Amino acid sequence: MLDVRSVSVAFGGLRALRSVEVAIADREIVGLLGPNGSGKTTLFNVVSGLVRPAAGEVWFGGVRITGLAPWKIARLGIGRTFQIARPFPRMSVFDNVLAGVTFGARPASRRIDRAREVDRLLATVGLAEKASARASTLSLGETKRLELAIALSTRPTLLLLDELASGLSPKGREEVIRFYARLRERGLTIFAIEHSLAVLNEVSDRVLLLDQGAVVAEGPPRAVFASRELRAAYLGDE
Amino acid sequence: MPLSTLMQTLVSGVMLGCLYAFVALGFAMILGISHSLNLAHGEIVTLGGYIGYGLWAGSGLHPLLLIPVAAAALLPLAFLWHWMLDRLPAPRALPSLALTFGWALLLQALMRVLWPGPHRLISSPSLGASTRFGWVTLNHGRAVVALAALGAIGALWLAVTRTRWGRAIRATGLDRDAAALAGINVYAATRITLVLAMALSGAAGVLLATTHYVYPTAGVELTLLAIVLTIWAGVGRLLTVLLAGLLLGIAESLTVAISGPAWREPVIACLLLASLLARPPVD
Amino acid sequence: MRGAALVATLALLPPLIGFHPYYVYVLSTAFLFATLATAWNLLAYGGQISFGHAAFFGLGAYGAALTSLAGVSPWAAIAAGGAVAVAGALLIGAAAARLGGAALALATLAYAELWRGIAQNWTAVSGGGAGLVGIPPLPTLAAVPLDLTRGHTGSYYVSLAVLAAALGVFGLMTRSRLGLALRAVREAADRAALLGIRPITWKLASFALSALLTGLAGGLYVHMVRVVEPDLVFGRFFSIVPLVMAMFGGLHSVLGPTLAALGLHLFSELLLHPVAPALHQLPYAVALIVVILYLPGGLASLAKAPRD
Ligand SMILES: Nc1ncnc2c1ncn2[C@@H]1O[C@H](COP(=O)(O)OP(=O)(O)OP(=O)(O)O)[C@@H](O)[C@H]1O
Ligand SMILES: [Mg+2]
Repeated sequence: MLDVRSVSVAFGGLRALRSVEVAIADREIVGLLGPNGSGKTTLFNVVSGLVRPAAGEVWFGGVRITGLAPWKIARLGIGRTFQIARPFPRMSVFDNVLAGVTFGARPASRRIDRAREVDRLLATVGLAEKASARASTLSLGETKRLELAIALSTRPTLLLLDELASGLSPKGREEVIRFYARLRERGLTIFAIEHSLAVLNEVSDRVLLLDQGAVVAEGPPRAVFASRELRAAYLGDE
Repeated sequence: MPLSTLMQTLVSGVMLGCLYAFVALGFAMILGISHSLNLAHGEIVTLGGYIGYGLWAGSGLHPLLLIPVAAAALLPLAFLWHWMLDRLPAPRALPSLALTFGWALLLQALMRVLWPGPHRLISSPSLGASTRFGWVTLNHGRAVVALAALGAIGALWLAVTRTRWGRAIRATGLDRDAAALAGINVYAATRITLVLAMALSGAAGVLLATTHYVYPTAGVELTLLAIVLTIWAGVGRLLTVLLAGLLLGIAESLTVAISGPAWREPVIACLLLASLLARPPVD
Repeated sequence: MRGAALVATLALLPPLIGFHPYYVYVLSTAFLFATLATAWNLLAYGGQISFGHAAFFGLGAYGAALTSLAGVSPWAAIAAGGAVAVAGALLIGAAAARLGGAALALATLAYAELWRGIAQNWTAVSGGGAGLVGIPPLPTLAAVPLDLTRGHTGSYYVSLAVLAAALGVFGLMTRSRLGLALRAVREAADRAALLGIRPITWKLASFALSALLTGLAGGLYVHMVRVVEPDLVFGRFFSIVPLVMAMFGGLHSVLGPTLAALGLHLFSELLLHPVAPALHQLPYAVALIVVILYLPGGLASLAKAPRD
C-alpha cells in the first residue's frame, strides 16, 4: 500500500532522513518510534507532499507520488494529523470538517449527504455538540479530536497519525487506544508516530525505530523496545 | 544612435540615477527598520518639494540652502509614523500598505488644496546653466543634484556602518527581538531611523523640485520607483540602492531616448511587476 | 426576509417619487461603487487584497466601449467588457500565484498602472490619453414604460439591479464550495491543500468572479457617462474606492461594504462636494486610515454577531 524507497531529505547541512525504506501493507498498523529530531515528522511530510525528498521515491497504491502536490496526494487517499493540531482557527468546527469532506478523495457513491457525513465524523470523535463553535474556542483535548476528524474527513485509506497519545492522561490514552481499534475495524491502514510502549504494544502490528534519520530497527513492539538499538538511540552510543 | 547621443544619454542617466537612489532612501530605510511599506513615500517627497518651492518663492534664497529647512519641516511625520506603525499588528506589511495608501491620498488632497493650479519648479538661474565638455553637455542643476545625492548617501552609509547608532539601527532591522535582548533600545533606533528617513525624503523633494516639476500626484510614480530600487538592492542595503538607482536611471534615459517619454510610466510599472514576481520583498 | 423586501421596495422608490435627477444620479453611482466594493470583497474573501481593481474596471470599460463603438448592442458590449476583465484577471492571477499579502497587493497596483500606461499609449485602439467618445447610451427596454429606462432613471435601475446581482453572487458564494475553499485557503493555504483543495484553482476563480463583476460595472459605467479615458477608468480612484469601502464596511461581510459605499459616497458627494470640491477624496483617505488604526474589522465588527 505505502512504499517508501530509500528516501533522503536534507535541510541545508542537516541530513534529516537517510535512505529510509518503509513498506506498509493494506490494513496494517505500523508504529514509528524515535527520539526528538530523529526525522519522524519529516517522513510524514515527505509522504503527504509537504517536503520534497532529495533522493528516493514514495509509492502509494501503485502510484508514484513523489513530487506530487499535497492536494493530489490527499485526494489519492492519504490523510494526516499534525503533532500540534492545526485546524482552521476562525472557521466553525463543522466547516473545518466539511472542507475535507467536500474536497477530499472521491466518495464511494456520487450523491452523498455532506452534512450527514460531517455529523457522523464529529460524533465519532465526540464533538457533535461543538459543531457550530469556532475552532479557536476549543480546549486542547477538543482541538486534538477535531484534528482527527479533519484527518478522517478526506476519506483516507492511509492515515498518518503524529503523536496522538502524547501529552494525554492515562484515561486519555485508553481512549486513544480504543480509537485505534475502531479505525482498524474500518479497514484503515495506519502509520502512527507514538512514544509509549503501552500504546504501541496495544495497537500496532509492528514498529519502526528511527534514529538520526535512519531506520535502525524494525519488529514487534516488545522486541524493538527491548532492543540494543533503542537504548543506543535514546541514551547515546555506549 | 550616434555615439555622442549615447554618451549624453548615459551621463543624464547616471545623474538621474543618483537622484532616484536618493529619493528611494527614505522608503528603503523604513522598510528595513520596521518591515512596513510606505506607499505615501512619494507624496512625502513631493511635499518636501512643495515646501522647498514655497520657501524659495517666498524668500528668494538659493534652493540648496532651503534643503535643511524642508527636511526639518517633515520631522513631525516621523513621530506620526512611529506612533502609527506601533499600533499595527504584526506582520505589518499588508496593514502598513493600506494605512499608507490612505496617507498618500490624504497628502495628495492636502497638496491639491495648498498649491492649486500649475505644476511647480524651482528654477534658479545658477542651476539652470550648463557647461559643455566635448560631446557632453552638463546641466549645473542636475550635476549639483547628483553630487548632493551622492554626498547624502555616502554620509548615511558612514553613519550606519561606523557609528554605535548605526549598528543599533542595523541590528534592529535584522532582528528586532534579538536586538532588544542584546540591550539595544529598539524603540529609539526605530525613531532615529524614521527621523532620518523623513528628513532625507524632504531633502530629496527639494532637489527633485529643482529639476522636475512637482504636482500633487507626482508622488505616485516616485513610490513605484522607490519600491523597484529597494527590491533590486535587497532590503537593508544602502550602497546597492545607489547601484540600483544608477541602473534604473540609465535604463530610463535609454528608454526615453529610444522610444520617447510616453512609455516611461508603463515601463516602470512593468519593472515593478517583474521585480515583484522575481523577488518579492516581503512575505 | 421581510426586512430585505422592505429595503428592496424602498430602493425602487426614489426616481418614482420625484427625486431630483442629480440625487438619482448620485444614488446610482453609489450603487455602482457598492457593486465594486462587493466585487473587491469577493477577492478578499480568499485572502487576496487588491490595490489595483482599476485594472479590471478599466478593462471592462474599454472592452465594452470598443465593442459598443463597433456597432454591437450595449448589453452584449457590457458582457464583452466583463469577459475582457476576466481575461485580464486570469493573467495577473496566474502570474502572481506565488505571491500573497503585501507582495500581491503591490503587484496588482503595478498591474493597474501598467494598463493605464498601455491605454494611454496604444492610441490606435484606445484613443490614447484623450480616450474614446460617442459611446451610445443604454437602450430603452420595449416592455417597460419609457420613463423608467431612460436617462438617469434608467441608469438608476440598472445600477440597482447590478448591485442586487453582485450581492446575490456574494451571498451564494459564501454558501458554496467556492466560499468554503476560499475560507480554508485564506486561513491556512498549506493545510487546505492537505484536504484536497488546490489553492490556485480557487484563487483564480475568485479573481475571475471578482473581475467579472468589476468589469461589468465598468462596461455599465461607460454607457452611463458615454466617454472613456485612461486616467478615468484605469486611474487610482477605482482601485482605492472599492478597497476603502470594503475595508471600512468589513472584510468578508456581505452587506458591510455596500453600507460603507452608500455612506461614504453620499457623504462625499452631497455634504462635502458642495463646500470643498477639491477634497472629495478626503473621506476615503480618512476612512481608510481610521479603520486600519482603530477598527481593523470594519463596520461589520461592530454588529453584534460577527459572521464569516
Ligand atoms: N522545514 C525544516 N527546515 C529545516 N530543518 C527542519 C525542518 N523540518 C525539520 N527540520 C529538522 O529536521 C530534524 C528532524 O525533524 P523532525 O520534525 O522530523 O523530528 P521528529 O522526529 O518529528 O522530532 P519530534 O519528536 O521532536 O517531533 C530536526 O533536526 C529538525 O530541526
Ligand atoms: Mg515530530
